[in-house]
Amino acid sequence: MKKQWLSIALGVVTAIGGFLDAGTVATAGEAGAKFGLGLIWAILAATLAVMLLVEMVGRFTAVSKKTYADAIREDFGFRFYLLPLTSELIAESLLLAAEIGGVAIALSLFTGIPWHTLFPFVALFIWILAWRAPFDLIENGPALLGLVTLSFLAGIVALGGIPAHLLPTLWHPNFQRGSVADYLYLVAAIIGSTISPYLLYFYSSGAREERWSRRSLVLNRVTAIVGMGFGSIGSMALLVLGAIVLQPLQISSNTLGELGLAMAKPFGITGSFLFASALFATCLGAALEVLLAVSYNIAQGFGWEWGENKKPVEAARFNLVMTIFLLIAAAIGLIGIDPLQLALFASTVIALFLPISLSPFLILMNDPQYLGNKTNGRFTNIAVICILLLAFLVALVSLPLEIITGGG
Amino acid sequence: MIDPNDEIFSVRDILDSQLQTRDRRKIGRVADIEAETRADGSLKLTYLVVGPQALAGRVHPRLRAFLRFFLRDRFEHRIPLSEVTKFGPTLYLRGKAENYAVGQSERWIAEHILRWIPGNGL
Repeated sequence: MKKQWLSIALGVVTAIGGFLDAGTVATAGEAGAKFGLGLIWAILAATLAVMLLVEMVGRFTAVSKKTYADAIREDFGFRFYLLPLTSELIAESLLLAAEIGGVAIALSLFTGIPWHTLFPFVALFIWILAWRAPFDLIENGPALLGLVTLSFLAGIVALGGIPAHLLPTLWHPNFQRGSVADYLYLVAAIIGSTISPYLLYFYSSGAREERWSRRSLVLNRVTAIVGMGFGSIGSMALLVLGAIVLQPLQISSNTLGELGLAMAKPFGITGSFLFASALFATCLGAALEVLLAVSYNIAQGFGWEWGENKKPVEAARFNLVMTIFLLIAAAIGLIGIDPLQLALFASTVIALFLPISLSPFLILMNDPQYLGNKTNGRFTNIAVICILLLAFLVALVSLPLEIITGGG
Repeated sequence: MIDPNDEIFSVRDILDSQLQTRDRRKIGRVADIEAETRADGSLKLTYLVVGPQALAGRVHPRLRAFLRFFLRDRFEHRIPLSEVTKFGPTLYLRGKAENYAVGQSERWIAEHILRWIPGNGL
């Protein structure tokens, strides 16, 4: 029993630390800088969705002993499986490039070396971790470091709390700094960055790596609800900081580095380093999760050996795919697009693909063949469908607008 | 006559199932099934097929012929249905991984590509 509470605590802590990534940092910072508190509601809606989804995928794997990718291939057949697979490959290669770039920018904030120069070394470092590190190190290491994101809260306190003039922007966002198209683009990006499907592939594979069973359901529920709930605090705090610090400076945060100013205002140089550490930890954790999620997905979909706790040669195809996918993402990153813009774009693309990547999941979650008496309730189904549709529609409208206007 | 004690599986249940060997290796998934017509007119499932051509055929039948033109059946492998000891979402096979042509790419990649990369665990 004691051991179970220990793993629950660890699960919650890692969920908090692992919540943010390049996408959520970029969207939250930019949203605050452009629209004050006007997009907090989107973070709340996305957090509700991700809580529900993570709880579901953990329950699914603990009860059925199947990962999400296994089940798509087995239940919907090979032809259908190619759809979510393709959408994953497109969206996650962009996102992985952004995450690697995020780590590189964090290191350049520490060292002063340009992030382009650091980028290949960061990619190599991530590959070494994915190649040989055991699963629990990959899952827990960066997430524990990621707790430094809670310093964003301290930043708000140090600045004297949320100023009263910002409160009306909660329901009446300020459209002086950004257009309606920007607003919609950010709604889609916030939802897409928070409920990235890579989380589901990663979480369900992780549940298998750790041999979850029906006994793990409590752990699963607490991790999903408490961990994700508290995790979103980091994201909302960054949004508020952006609104307090960046909006008056007329900075619409076009790069990840500029977002660091939000922490430099309350804490000076220490604040910059805190921001850099948070960016480093969250992007490193997310890069590993995205990379592994795609490799898990392919290996499971094709029925190959997979697993981080096996030697590379024991799961050769899995590790080869992992290496190739990382090379592709690194090549995308080396084109030199700023990671913040890339993360925003990837998150919106993900939002657009959400119905493809998650509707099979909702069908599976209502199938008693897999879940017995643990199928979804009606509230859960309706809530998730509404949020997915919202994300899809907003992405559909804003993506073409954003491409026409040149982004940013 | 169907014996109620018999487990009944449809072709759909077998297609896409995980293939696992006696030494607990996941070697691939069923891409296609071969059947033969018996003299008495009944149809008997004979082989499980795994390979890129068979998979392409699941997407579109013409794609299968197209891929066959290039690959010439080199990567297509068949496993007799009699090798399966237990049916279900995972098909458990009688032999060890090394006994099947399916999944040999795993070993080929380990021996020819990963061997050059440090820390491969060989």
